[in-house]
Amino acid sequence: MKAQLVLFLFSAAFLAAAENTPVPPATPVACPHCAAAAAASAPAASAFTRESIYQLDAKFTDDSGRTFTLGELRGRPVVLDMFFASCGYACPLLVTDMQAIRGRLPAALRDRAVFVLVSFDVTRDTPVALAQYRAQRALDGQWRLLHGDDDSVRELAALLGVKYRQDSDGMFSHSNVITILNAQGEIVHQRIGLKGGLDEAAAALAAATR
Amino acid sequence: MNLPLGLLRFLLLLPALPAGAAGGAAGVSESGMIHVPAGNYAPLLRTPKDPATVSVAAFLLDERPVTNAEFLTFVTAEPKWRRSAISPLFADASYLGHWAGDLAPGPNAPADAPVVRVSWFAARAYARWAGKRLPTTAEWEFTAGAGYTRPDGKNDEQLNRDLYAWLARPVPAVLPAAGRGRPNFYGVRDLHGLVWEWVEDFNTAMVTGESRGDTGLERDLFCGAGSIGAKDTTDYAAFMRQALRSSLKANNTTTSLGFRCARDLPQKPFQP
Repeated sequence: MKAQLVLFLFSAAFLAAAENTPVPPATPVACPHCAAAAAASAPAASAFTRESIYQLDAKFTDDSGRTFTLGELRGRPVVLDMFFASCGYACPLLVTDMQAIRGRLPAALRDRAVFVLVSFDVTRDTPVALAQYRAQRALDGQWRLLHGDDDSVRELAALLGVKYRQDSDGMFSHSNVITILNAQGEIVHQRIGLKGGLDEAAAALAAATR
Repeated sequence: MNLPLGLLRFLLLLPALPAGAAGGAAGVSESGMIHVPAGNYAPLLRTPKDPATVSVAAFLLDERPVTNAEFLTFVTAEPKWRRSAISPLFADASYLGHWAGDLAPGPNAPADAPVVRVSWFAARAYARWAGKRLPTTAEWEFTAGAGYTRPDGKNDEQLNRDLYAWLARPVPAVLPAAGRGRPNFYGVRDLHGLVWEWVEDFNTAMVTGESRGDTGLERDLFCGAGSIGAKDTTDYAAFMRQALRSSLKANNTTTSLGFRCARDLPQKPFQP
């Protein structure tokens, strides 16, 4: 216990130290030279915004076995959660919470939003296993169940601020985070933990699509 | 809980062992990587279900941290990782903040000093570009657990003296050159005494990084992480590294956080 206390204390201290580090003024984005170069190499129509997590160059496979990049979600509001199918504690609750968020959306939005589950378990949660999970939980066509390799999963988790580790029994310890993305793939809201916050998540999603 | 901030600051002041004390590192390959043999690592924190030690396979590790000169080569080749171009998702506003310009490290970032103010994403992108990867926590800690003259450095008094002296010293405005620290048992330098380093799986550290969020809320914030505990509460420096990792986000950069790369050993050739 004492050890934990020390740990938290240092965590906090490091954060404080990081915040107090003198930060130079953010480098202006609009360097005409770079902007021109960027525009030349990537047509504006296909470029993601600077805050878009769709910039992540990661490939996933959906539960029908098709290759899937997150950028395909562009244009639709997204509710995203990282999970693993054999999880007996939080993950089933998180899926239920995502269904509850869907239930709170205005009707028009309910049919446009996409619900994405990305598995930590790169070994066991194959597309086939995810298809079984879809059937078990009766998830309809608005759900995407994604399998990725180690790299893709770790990078996505890092972007979302999700921590996880595989325990010796093969289960995963992980943060419980539901993330709301706007049509550009920017994080507009995160519900952290397991209690409450569903109205706020639904409201954030509705606001993001206005 | 309310330690004076001054004391915390003192404890957190970071780095730089006197350079020198060198000696010829036996196992340096041409690429500047050291062959670290297989061994066992006892994780600092584990759940009751976890085994006391995990095995670490033999691998290659950079002899020293990546330097400004090396990072300059990378950003020159990969424009999206330049300071003016990088997305805020992948590095915060202080990314390479001590460099004079996008392609000019300048006087505060000497060519042979370790590059700092780099994010996990940037460190990883560099490693990938170089055909390498970041070391895992287990690999890094296993290697760093060695003393100067033996594989178990826990009771290496000189190492401990150097380590704690470093922890107590402020970060110099301009970091000294990488690769001049005394090599450890395996021939790897600067694991202690120069900068903190990113590891691939930094985000396995199961605390939220915010002390106010870590106590009663823990069971809700983390699935399955109810009772993690420390095996060796005397390993103060390892606690500090663990605390740093758990407090970091992948886009964070700090004035004393750099990285080095690792690589799997080449597959053994088939022998009939």
